[in-house]
Amino acid sequence: MTETVITLRLNQQQLELMDRTIAQGVAADRVALVRLALREYAAVRQAEITAKPAP
Amino acid sequence: MTARTVISEYVLEPGTGKAIELLTGQILRIEQVEGGQCADFNAFNLHDYKEFMHCGRTRTVHGFHPTAGNFLWSAPPRERAMLYILEDTVGRNDVLFPRCSAYVYEAAYGFAVHTNCHDIQAEAQREYGLTPDDVHDSFNLFMCTGVDQDGHAFMTRQTTQAGDHVDLLALMDVLAVPNVCGADVMKTSNFALKPLKLTVFAATAADMALVPSTPKLESQRTPKDFKISAIKSDRPLRRDPAYRAEFPNTPIRITDLPVALSPDEVALFNAVKRSDIYGDDDAAALRDLLFSWWEERFLQAHAGAPAIGGKS
Repeated sequence: MTETVITLRLNQQQLELMDRTIAQGVAADRVALVRLALREYAAVRQAEITAKPAP
Repeated sequence: MTARTVISEYVLEPGTGKAIELLTGQILRIEQVEGGQCADFNAFNLHDYKEFMHCGRTRTVHGFHPTAGNFLWSAPPRERAMLYILEDTVGRNDVLFPRCSAYVYEAAYGFAVHTNCHDIQAEAQREYGLTPDDVHDSFNLFMCTGVDQDGHAFMTRQTTQAGDHVDLLALMDVLAVPNVCGADVMKTSNFALKPLKLTVFAATAADMALVPSTPKLESQRTPKDFKISAIKSDRPLRRDPAYRAEFPNTPIRITDLPVALSPDEVALFNAVKRSDIYGDDDAAALRDLLFSWWEERFLQAHAGAPAIGGKS
């Protein structure tokens, strides 16, 4: 399976927010947090599309 | 329920304002006498006038029309709840418009002299040694305003009646300065100047129990935390040759974080990424997604506002 690597460029403040979020038990590490964000963000958008009445 | 004790009463005549020492636990009622009158309002920490009410912070927390259940906040870096709007029989106040001024009436209407909120405030504040430069953006009570489709603030007539009032509860000792808005050639006060009644009450225990707690944080700084704590006493600005910049959290350092995405995850990403903003820059689009998700999931305030216990 081919993976695609996207390299985020984050400053120390953004990393601090990520690390405090991880410390709450939301994700295991920074990469896992980004992947969780992607899945949840996409799920919300998909739910919005599904909920929208047909024109 | 215990009745409130009246401490003082005062009638603000048209064209005037009054500076009132309102101590912690006292309530200032600003009340319509005839109806249809806007009141402008300034507030300062009674013991440090450099801490004053900030309409900008107030509107980011509570919106353009603060009403009962909202606070009036002081400016950064103090950012404390100065007053609590305990009661509001109308529910239409404004923090969009600045005070009207002599310049407005001269430029737009040709008046050499006209009642205006800036000068009325300045004259009332002079009783406490403040200058016209100390008048700040006003909380405009009973002022009916909105934003039009072009992004301009507009004002229209009000429907207040005699007896309508707003009760402001002091959460710190303040100099509270209401004035009868000087606008008689605008819709603000329905094209007439009318008196307002001021009453100061001692809050009851029941009143105080209505006030929600607000966060007390390290970032609410006072002069003891400032690198320069003395108030500058002359007017010209001169460079300090000994100045060395000490901006917090600088320099900003960038760290690369490679994230490997599976084909399924790439498909999800491609479906939701903001190519309209970031084009082919997938790294910027994924960073946007990450923090947009964080806001949706964790942010307990309106964007750009402090969290004070709910999106009020």
